[in-house]
Amino acid sequence: MPAHEPSPFLHAVEITHWLALGVMVVVYTLRIRWLLSFRATRDRQRPSNSHRTDARRGAYYSLANVLMPWAMESTRRGFAFYMTFALFHLGVVAGISLAFLSTVARPFLRHPVVSATILGLLFAAFAIGLYRIGRRLLRPVMKLISTPDDYFSIVMLTSWFFLGILTELSIISRLAGEGYAVGYLLLTSFFLLYVPFSKISHYLYYPFTRIWLGRTLGHRGTYPLVKG
Amino acid sequence: MSARENKDTTYKIQVMRDILAKKLTRSVVGSLVACVHCGMCNEACHYVLTHPDEPKMTPSFKADQLRKLFKYNYDWTGRVIPWWVGAKEPLSDADLEALKDIAFGTCTNCRRCTLNCPMGVDTATLNRIMRGLLSAVGVMPEGVRVVSKDQWEVGNQMGVLKEDYLETLDWMSEELVNEVGDESARIPIDKPGTEVMYTINPREAKYDPRTIAAAAKIFWAAGESWTMPSEGWDQTNFGLFSGDDQLGGASARRVYEKMKELGAKRLVISECGHGYRSTRCEGPNWVGIDQDWEMESSVFTMLRYLQEGRIRVDRNKLDRRTTYHDSCNLARSCGITEEPRELLRMVSNDFVEMVPNRAENFCCTGGGGAMSMSEYTPRRLKSAKVKADQIAATGAKIVVTSCHNCVDGLSDLIKHYKLGCEVKQLVELVADALVIEDCAVMRKSKAVVEMPKPALPLHGRRILVVDDEPDVRVFLRTVLEDAGAEIYEAPDGDHALAMARKHKPDLITLDLSMEGKDGVSTFAELRSDAEIAGIPVCIVTGHPEFRELIYQRAVPVPDGYMDKPVKDAELVDNLHRILGLAEHHKAPD
Repeated sequence: MPAHEPSPFLHAVEITHWLALGVMVVVYTLRIRWLLSFRATRDRQRPSNSHRTDARRGAYYSLANVLMPWAMESTRRGFAFYMTFALFHLGVVAGISLAFLSTVARPFLRHPVVSATILGLLFAAFAIGLYRIGRRLLRPVMKLISTPDDYFSIVMLTSWFFLGILTELSIISRLAGEGYAVGYLLLTSFFLLYVPFSKISHYLYYPFTRIWLGRTLGHRGTYPLVKG
Repeated sequence: MSARENKDTTYKIQVMRDILAKKLTRSVVGSLVACVHCGMCNEACHYVLTHPDEPKMTPSFKADQLRKLFKYNYDWTGRVIPWWVGAKEPLSDADLEALKDIAFGTCTNCRRCTLNCPMGVDTATLNRIMRGLLSAVGVMPEGVRVVSKDQWEVGNQMGVLKEDYLETLDWMSEELVNEVGDESARIPIDKPGTEVMYTINPREAKYDPRTIAAAAKIFWAAGESWTMPSEGWDQTNFGLFSGDDQLGGASARRVYEKMKELGAKRLVISECGHGYRSTRCEGPNWVGIDQDWEMESSVFTMLRYLQEGRIRVDRNKLDRRTTYHDSCNLARSCGITEEPRELLRMVSNDFVEMVPNRAENFCCTGGGGAMSMSEYTPRRLKSAKVKADQIAATGAKIVVTSCHNCVDGLSDLIKHYKLGCEVKQLVELVADALVIEDCAVMRKSKAVVEMPKPALPLHGRRILVVDDEPDVRVFLRTVLEDAGAEIYEAPDGDHALAMARKHKPDLITLDLSMEGKDGVSTFAELRSDAEIAGIPVCIVTGHPEFRELIYQRAVPVPDGYMDKPVKDAELVDNLHRILGLAEHHKAPD
């Protein structure tokens, strides 16, 4: 809980932010229960390529796929895009860290290395967010597959990165006032409540989809992929 | 839309909802909720790459068609504010037709997008489910409808009648027997208790029976105990393409049940990508039974024969450059990438890889049942440009593949893009490269030829060769031993009489002009001694003038008479005849 001396309003916002986190945890728990309420299946055929792989190895490989840009043609050939993906998600981690550390360990955020890292990641994520908004608005393919939720999510996240930059700057006293922190934490609270109902909750499903696909393709001898 | 049409459409949508409910497994729901519309799958798709101005070709758009239906009925947000997350249900027959065009006409379910999705979304499976929902309400391309109907009713997807199938096997048997000159090369049908039951793609029986003959030749050469079934022989499965799991299960069950009925130990699936996936990988899931029997692709079977030395091939028989096209179903869905290459390298000196290859290979564009959907042919051939470029870059004259759909798809695009090469399957290359003399079947038959020592004309006969010339004795010994006889030798008359008394041979060859006791005297004594008088004697002499001396003696005449030099065959024939006659005389009346 808050370990600094915020104004009563900022304090209330910080409490709200923690409560929102609690709500998100509950909703996510329900989400996982919902996902697991569907029928589980298993492959009934005998395993293939059992001399080199199995369902477990396939699952590990699939789960680690995100860290192996060389494993998929899409990330191998689109390495620049992969890097934007990596930086964007590191920016999310920085933003979440900023939100929670600002309420419990504000002095830590003033450490030069920490503040430089957070600012750097937030700035990169903000820039990538702008690029992604443009990409979604301008590329016919992206326009076709985008829903209001897609636009809203990327716009809000980009705004959140921007507010995060301002908040970090205010914490290291480059900008005056609590307004940035209040705005940032309110937006964070909103995200915590909104995310479970939007596409942003994809990270919750990530381990499930990757493990399930990996188990199937591992059992069938496809994963890990054999390269020529 | 009229009220009637509206009612029909409502009913169809309800059916689709009901079927969707049955298909929602955890992994399917995961794929439905995890897509972030990042577009990473886009360039994995051959339709996208060849239709850059048509955004609807992107895989996530295709998967979204099912996602919309799912969100509308299951997703929390989609049920409350559907427009926010793109949740929607089809509203008219026109909507269903549009969905048909997307699900059947812009995707071959090749699964390349699946392997390129960072989230692990199985877009190909979602598209197959959409096909299944549409098929359930009768919305599908005419070709898919006809083929599915044949598979349900006739038992194979090309409606090949049993008589025609058996006649084709008979025809192939005749050709093979004529080719190899061995009646045992005939294709066995419904033979119980064999090691192998071999199933095929109906395309083989209907359009390309040479692959059946090629497989039969390999089984024959390997000395395999095998059979083809008279029913349940169609390993293909349009349930995979139409998304109809019930058809999938029924078709796979036919094969499994026939195999168990015949008591075969192993099911060998001919080179067919979707046939292998349907029978080996998906079939047990559709039928709902655990696989407790052996199933393998014929690629594995051929490779095993080669590794075990049951067949041998000569790779120099193939003098053109080859490349290998990985079937999507084999490489991406069943993990078969290395064995076909190993086999191909054994029959091809000049093999080059296609790029990309293995699980990253591009679809032949004939997959997913595309070859049966003629209304989409122009789009399919346009999308085949990617594949055509891949093939052209290899400079290969033969594109080898282990899939019948791929054979058709590739042949079509090779013709369309004038690539000047041909498509072959491994079974044809292996059959053509066989060195029959070194195969198991010939080793086995050689063993049979060597065995019949009992059939040698003088097998087991004990013959006393009497001659004073060592060279002559060696000659006679060699010829007679080759004919299966056991030989004793004597250089003169005295030795001959002693050995005759001692060994009681079945026959004596006797020279007349010898030093010491000559042949005439020896013959007379032989015939005078009751103990050995009955032994047949064949005179072998270089002095025909002595013949008279023999016949002047008051003893039974010799049983045979030959003038030197004697010929091998005549000698053996004469002795064989003498021994036969002697036995005949001994036999009781």
